[in-house]
Amino acid sequence: MTNTILSANKVTKRFGGLTAVNSVNIEVKENSIHSVIGPNGAGKTTFFNCLTGFYKPEEGELLFNGHSLVGLRSDQIIVLGIARTYQNIRLFANLTALDNVLIGQHIHLKAGWLGSALRFPGIVREEKTALLEANRLLKFVGLGNKGNHIAKNLSYGDQRRLEIARALASKPKLLLLDEPTAGMNPHETEEATIFFRNLRDELNITIVLIEHDMRVVMGISEIISVLDYGQKIAEGTPKEIQNNAQVIEAYLGRGSAGNIGKDPAVVAKEA
Amino acid sequence: MEKYRTAITIGLVGAAITLLFGGWSMILVGTVVGAITGLNYGQHSAKRGALDKAREVLLPALIGNIIMGLGGTLYTFVVVPLTGKSLNYDQPLKLGTGRVPLDSIAVFIIGLAAGIAIGVAVAALIAYLQGLPENVRRVAFIASLIVFLFGLPFFDQVTGLDWIAAIITIQIFILLALGLNIVVGYAGLLDLGYAAFFAIGAYTTGLLSSPQIDIYWNFWLVIWVAAAMAAFAGLVLGAPTLPLRGDYLAIVTLGFGEIIPVVFRNLISVKLVEPFTRICFVGCDPKVDVVRWCIYACQGALDLTAGEKGINPIGRPMIPFTDELLFSSRSYLPWYFLVFGLIVLSIFFIRRLRNSRIGRAWMAIREDELAASQMGIDPVKTKLLAFSMGATFSGFAGAFYGSYISAIFPSVFDFSVSVIILCMVILGGLGNMVGVIIGGILIMGTDRLFLPQIATLLKDFMRHSVLGNVSNPVLKDFLEISVDPNQMRLAIFGLVLVIMMVVRPEGLVPSEERRAELHEGEEEHGDAATEAAA
Repeated sequence: MTNTILSANKVTKRFGGLTAVNSVNIEVKENSIHSVIGPNGAGKTTFFNCLTGFYKPEEGELLFNGHSLVGLRSDQIIVLGIARTYQNIRLFANLTALDNVLIGQHIHLKAGWLGSALRFPGIVREEKTALLEANRLLKFVGLGNKGNHIAKNLSYGDQRRLEIARALASKPKLLLLDEPTAGMNPHETEEATIFFRNLRDELNITIVLIEHDMRVVMGISEIISVLDYGQKIAEGTPKEIQNNAQVIEAYLGRGSAGNIGKDPAVVAKEA
Repeated sequence: MEKYRTAITIGLVGAAITLLFGGWSMILVGTVVGAITGLNYGQHSAKRGALDKAREVLLPALIGNIIMGLGGTLYTFVVVPLTGKSLNYDQPLKLGTGRVPLDSIAVFIIGLAAGIAIGVAVAALIAYLQGLPENVRRVAFIASLIVFLFGLPFFDQVTGLDWIAAIITIQIFILLALGLNIVVGYAGLLDLGYAAFFAIGAYTTGLLSSPQIDIYWNFWLVIWVAAAMAAFAGLVLGAPTLPLRGDYLAIVTLGFGEIIPVVFRNLISVKLVEPFTRICFVGCDPKVDVVRWCIYACQGALDLTAGEKGINPIGRPMIPFTDELLFSSRSYLPWYFLVFGLIVLSIFFIRRLRNSRIGRAWMAIREDELAASQMGIDPVKTKLLAFSMGATFSGFAGAFYGSYISAIFPSVFDFSVSVIILCMVILGGLGNMVGVIIGGILIMGTDRLFLPQIATLLKDFMRHSVLGNVSNPVLKDFLEISVDPNQMRLAIFGLVLVIMMVVRPEGLVPSEERRAELHEGEEEHGDAATEAAA
């Protein structure tokens, strides 16, 4: 198909005696929507944290477009083009929505303290463009008229959208979404799913998605990687994953293999 | 009655001040009471038209100012006799070189009438401005503020109110508070040793323009060097400590604030010799005749700071083509306008910084350091910038302070100064410059104007009306010496701070964000209550 944009090679992250991510290999193709699923505590978010420089993996290597990510600080990684959202929303809660998105553009603006204090013509122009861009992004995620709201006063769904707008403001090549539909109702979830697909199609952004909602995962992923106890136990297209005995075992325990062939979500309901 | 509650409160605060100063102060306080009343009622008025707003504010302003006038009345007819002053003592009006002698009754009548009249007029004007379109209002508002601030020292001079020295100190502390607001309010770094940078600015000025080591640089150059030195000190302190968070940073800055005055106290015999090479040429005894390269002060140890005695006198600013003695210790006006200019410049630049990429990065770090760093903001660099930026303003203030007082001592920069500046920022409203300025005026005004005045009045009152009637010598001693509000100032500030934290944690004039942060729960509660009531 296309090039590999991100490749994780035998990545291992330990916390004391616990191996949260154990020798995981994942390759993400450019322009794909790649899901990472697994039961709670499987190491999905830890894997994201390794990618964004919050944790440093003990072993293995992470290559993004040929650059190694291991040992880089978070603020250096985003410059390469990896942005993320968080499982529990981490907006700049007491700032306006607009400011949140403007902060997202930080790496693309150049104003230093002297330039900001004296407002050179170039800085003024830059700031104007940034403001236009921020408003455009807010409109894009459907918050066009809420730029002046304080982030924490927005509704839950709007906060999730704002987080995505903030991540998009850094013009990423790869967007990591950590349970973006958690806490949404089915209608909102459906909208979000369409929105993610649009993101990929319109902005050519590769998306890596951690998600528990199987409808979303099966609906939009091209490839799914399944983690369990820090190890990758399966990888493949949604169809393949649905029929994978190991995956079903991880989710439902031993003895459930008879349900092979059914949608895990349906299986879960029956159980 | 509900409608006039705010006006009455404002009037009562005004009355508390006129009760202490009486006479001419009523004009000044009346103006301020009028302005605040006008602002408050103009903003909350349901009426849209400018004239309607002005008309509506007339009655509340009149009530507020009459209450304010009661304070002055009490001063004239109760406080003055009780403290043993005669009702006929002169309060001359200085006009140019001439003096118009007035007795205190005349001063009272003029002050009361003018205070109330001007107060109501100002209230109406301010309310009127509120009704104008946004851009006109802004300009008109700033213009009236400038007129007031320009007129203030002249009014002070003409009436002999003698507040100007205190006002200049207040200004210097406002400058300091504005700088600290960058560090604490914007970047969210608790700095408990801010006075250290103030000291560095002042001592740099002292060293570079005094007879201490015979360097007499121009003030306009020194003030930049002082600011740069303070900024540099900020970098040196910040680089290793800013990766620390919250409490730990506070402790380190606290230590720094304690160390710096001690360092200045002890720099009284300085000689720098490099410690590594020890040269001994042929034929000498290596135990005795070693020569080490001298780096600084080779002719003999230098006294850099004169320890507890302090550096004195320090050079003063000069402006080309004007009187050399323009900035002297008895002429306050040039100083007033110089700091005034510094403050305006500072507000101008800090505002710009706040609304820029840099300011947003500061606030992002304050809100969520992890998310900020994953948005590409280098936390250490950003915090370092905030830290040294705050230090720069402190350095400016220090340079100015040293030159203004013309003598600096290590004890001026102790921990309580850091705390008082922090109190201003917190009292006024973290992260909001208007709030910080108001906090500065309130705290330093209390410290430098009201408490000393209360102390004087109390002393006179004791001597004149109380002590004669007390026979118990112990009680008499206690009343004479220990009842001194000046000694209780830190206790009073502590009390105010505790009360503020309980009653209004976001400060008097909070920034939008803080208000949202601290009162969200209550608002929801309030909403629920109204809904339930409906």
